[in-house]
Amino acid sequence: MLAASVSAWGEVTDSSRTEIIRPVMSAYTFEAGGSHLADTYLTPLIYGGYSLALQYERWQAMKFSPDRWVMSLTVRGTWNDADSPARNNSMWYAGLDARWAMLHRWRLPWGITAGAGGSTGIMAGCMYNGRNSNNPASAKVSWTVDAAAYASWKTRLGRLPVTLTYRATLPLTGVFYGVEYGQLYYEYWLGNRENTIHWGHWGNYFAMDNQLTADLHFGATSLRLGYRGFVYSTKVNGITSRMTSNTFIIGISGEWMSLNPRKKLSVDNARIINAL
Amino acid sequence: MPYHVLRHLSVCIISLFASLVLSSCHEIEQWDNDARGNFEALWTVVDEHYCFFDDKGVDWDEVHERYSAKISDNMSSAELFDVCAAMLAELRDGHTNLLSPFEVSYYRQWWSDYPQNYDARLVEQYYFNFNYRQVNGMTYGILPQNVGYIYYGSFSVTLGEGNLDHVLDYLSSAQGLIIDVRDNGGGDLTNVETLVSRFITQETVVGSIRHKTGPGHDDFSEPYPIHYRPAGGSHVLWGKPVVVLCNRSTYSAANNFVSIMKYLPDVTIVGATTGGGSGMPFSSEIPNGWGVRFSACPMYDAKGICTEQGVEPTEGCAVDLDPAAALQGRDTMLDFAVALLTTAPD
Repeated sequence: MLAASVSAWGEVTDSSRTEIIRPVMSAYTFEAGGSHLADTYLTPLIYGGYSLALQYERWQAMKFSPDRWVMSLTVRGTWNDADSPARNNSMWYAGLDARWAMLHRWRLPWGITAGAGGSTGIMAGCMYNGRNSNNPASAKVSWTVDAAAYASWKTRLGRLPVTLTYRATLPLTGVFYGVEYGQLYYEYWLGNRENTIHWGHWGNYFAMDNQLTADLHFGATSLRLGYRGFVYSTKVNGITSRMTSNTFIIGISGEWMSLNPRKKLSVDNARIINAL
Repeated sequence: MPYHVLRHLSVCIISLFASLVLSSCHEIEQWDNDARGNFEALWTVVDEHYCFFDDKGVDWDEVHERYSAKISDNMSSAELFDVCAAMLAELRDGHTNLLSPFEVSYYRQWWSDYPQNYDARLVEQYYFNFNYRQVNGMTYGILPQNVGYIYYGSFSVTLGEGNLDHVLDYLSSAQGLIIDVRDNGGGDLTNVETLVSRFITQETVVGSIRHKTGPGHDDFSEPYPIHYRPAGGSHVLWGKPVVVLCNRSTYSAANNFVSIMKYLPDVTIVGATTGGGSGMPFSSEIPNGWGVRFSACPMYDAKGICTEQGVEPTEGCAVDLDPAAALQGRDTMLDFAVALLTTAPD
């Protein structure tokens, strides 16, 4: 891919220094599976239903130390719809999540690379229970600092190159919004926002995102299949809120490079450092 | 990669995360979906969120003891509903309902034990000869004594600022205004603000609200003041005397409206004590899918008084509708209000 690109532009000189090429690995995926929703501000019952999500994910070696550090950006939109145990009411969650991670990378034997580091991200969404009159919604807004890790194994399935990647994100701390125990949004709308912003720790805010994917490299574009398990649980102001989902992932992934045609590049001295 | 290494690594990772997830999810109490479980769920939801136990002197634990004895494993849904509805009726609260597919429980004594004191036809026929105007939930006109009259039957009907401008402008030649909110069972508090904003000339603290901060019966936040601002821009404000007419069925948001108007200058409350309903309702449900609604956030008037039991008329202005006079086409409450506005003060 690099060779083709470079020869097309035909810009080659200055072989005295090595050019670092940092391809971007990106993936567009769709997820579907089961979910559970609970929020004691809305209902004391645990609802069960389905979860749908769209996610964009991007990985790239970092410029300052491309061999050792990689970064990733993940943006996802989620829709969960769930029914009450008696199946006479439904509750949904809609949310957006954006997360940026920076991970130290180690190249291990057997074609494995592994990374660990931190990430930070925001989550903004809302659970809605249409049956309720003055307490129909529970807003979910948080900014967290997380521990993040991944492991990636490049292998083959017969003759087909496959990249297996496991990724986990675990918020360590942050701030999040949580409505008061019995406060109605009318009072919030009046201006009383006391005791709604909280410092998050594992005692009151626990979330974990596990994603296992297999990229089947059929060509320049790969088919991504995988599984995602997500747990979100908060307890603040006496209100417990929980979301869990187990979803199947399908999508496409691929690596691409952004080259400046005016920048002179030596093929011989170019060095590609992949994200994974 | 050797298989055994991969296997051990996988087991370690899964064990670590499984233990993390299992230990970190916060507990949510669940009840069985049987008669006992549903009863306990209902009692607990109300126990942890209802806001007027102390104001009404309700011993909820004693109520549990009394009604729990009526629960049996083989009772039907209808029987369970009757027991649960009777238990909720102990709260004597018109904002409290149990909602099932076959019935909605409703405590009616807050109004059924009192005279109705309102007959729409009486006003429409004998005072306006059916020659009145209507717009956006308001019925209005000018009475022969040159007194403006607005009947607003529900705060659920959104009051348009433009509509209010037209109505008040039309009535501006009158020497006073009667706002009749008899049988107004409430609605949206933002409509209360829209209406009140036409009768104030500066930002005014009209009351306060509190909410539960925990499951204990005394776990309340500090009262949060509610400020209303006068209608801005070129909107029409009313500066002449006002009488608010109310009855026992003036409830919830309408009760709130009366409690606010009572403390405004040049406003007199005429009629009967309102029905109350000053707790903003909260919704929840129990395992069999029945919904429950109950008062959760108490609201107070500008003097910090809870108006759950109703708002009394201005001193000397308590008046009922005389049934005998009504047969003669007279609404004695309306007559009282008109006289108040047309008689020069001593």
